[in-house]
Amino acid sequence: MHVCRGNWSKQEDVLLSGDYAKLLPALERMKIDQFVLEYATPRAGDIEVVGRALSDRELGLGVVNPRTDSVESVEYIVGKAEQALEFYQPKQLFLNTDCGFGCFASRSVNVEEVAFKKLCAIVEAAKSLRKKYA
Amino acid sequence: MDQTFLTTQVGSWPRSKTMLKALRGYQKGTVPKKEYLAVAENEIKRTVELQEKAGLDILVDGEHRRESFYAFITDKVAGTQLMSLADMLDYVEDKAEFEEMLRTMDMPASAIKNPTCTGKLSRREPLALEDFRFLRSITKKPVKITLPGPYLLTRSMWVGALTHKVYRNHKKMADDIVKILREELIDLRDAGCDFVQFDEPVLTELIMSEECERRTFM
Repeated sequence: MHVCRGNWSKQEDVLLSGDYAKLLPALERMKIDQFVLEYATPRAGDIEVVGRALSDRELGLGVVNPRTDSVESVEYIVGKAEQALEFYQPKQLFLNTDCGFGCFASRSVNVEEVAFKKLCAIVEAAKSLRKKYA
Repeated sequence: MDQTFLTTQVGSWPRSKTMLKALRGYQKGTVPKKEYLAVAENEIKRTVELQEKAGLDILVDGEHRRESFYAFITDKVAGTQLMSLADMLDYVEDKAEFEEMLRTMDMPASAIKNPTCTGKLSRREPLALEDFRFLRSITKKPVKITLPGPYLLTRSMWVGALTHKVYRNHKKMADDIVKILREELIDLRDAGCDFVQFDEPVLTELIMSEECERRTFM
């Protein structure tokens, strides 16, 4: 299951803000294998909140912001994953975007060229992590 | 496949001008369904090639056929009507507040469309089974299909002035939504779909927006 804080605008300040703490009682009860969550934005709060409560499931870790023009560095993505590794095993950890690149047909939040580069950065980070934590 | 740090994306890909034109034409009835689907399939093929080129492990189709990640169901579910947020101004309880919300949240009233419930809900055709079959036919990699979650749909589809004639309350409508999603999930599982992701962005809205009763219809 995927949860985010809105993906309709490139203005970060109009999107919602807050960690997952208040959602935990609901998330814990769900019969869901994997939570796909935003973490590439500071608005999502600390990984520890979910890591402490839901490490019996898989985590789809959001490591790139689909709304920005700059591409996250491989080091940044590896760093995010390493924070999650304090709570999750490598096989439980999936790396993904924070949300889609065009949830609303008329309001894509990015262009294909940037989206492609962001995917490449995620793949490079995964390669580096596999070498380190194989 | 290496089973650690598997890479994927959440679902949707930027739409090209060609795709948008075909979608709008199909919705207006000026572009035949077959032609719109053919355009979408070309876009999906390109999106899949890009994901393979990037080296992603689990692929998505980019949701090119969809108006949005949830409003697309109006094409598949009986008892629904696709309405822009601007169309809905006539039906919301507090018009001034609704307009203010759209403005302050930078929410484009014409670009965001809602799958409003106006009749008894049932699956006219599968929501995403054909999407899965097409995606399966063009890649050997594991694939993921996205579906709107039951909470998102219940919150957006209920527009009191229009829905109340059919369902006594949200819960009665939600029972039918859950039934539709269950049927779809079972179909996708039986067809061999590797991953099904339910999208529930509205959960954060409930706990993080200042105004819990605020209705963003997404």
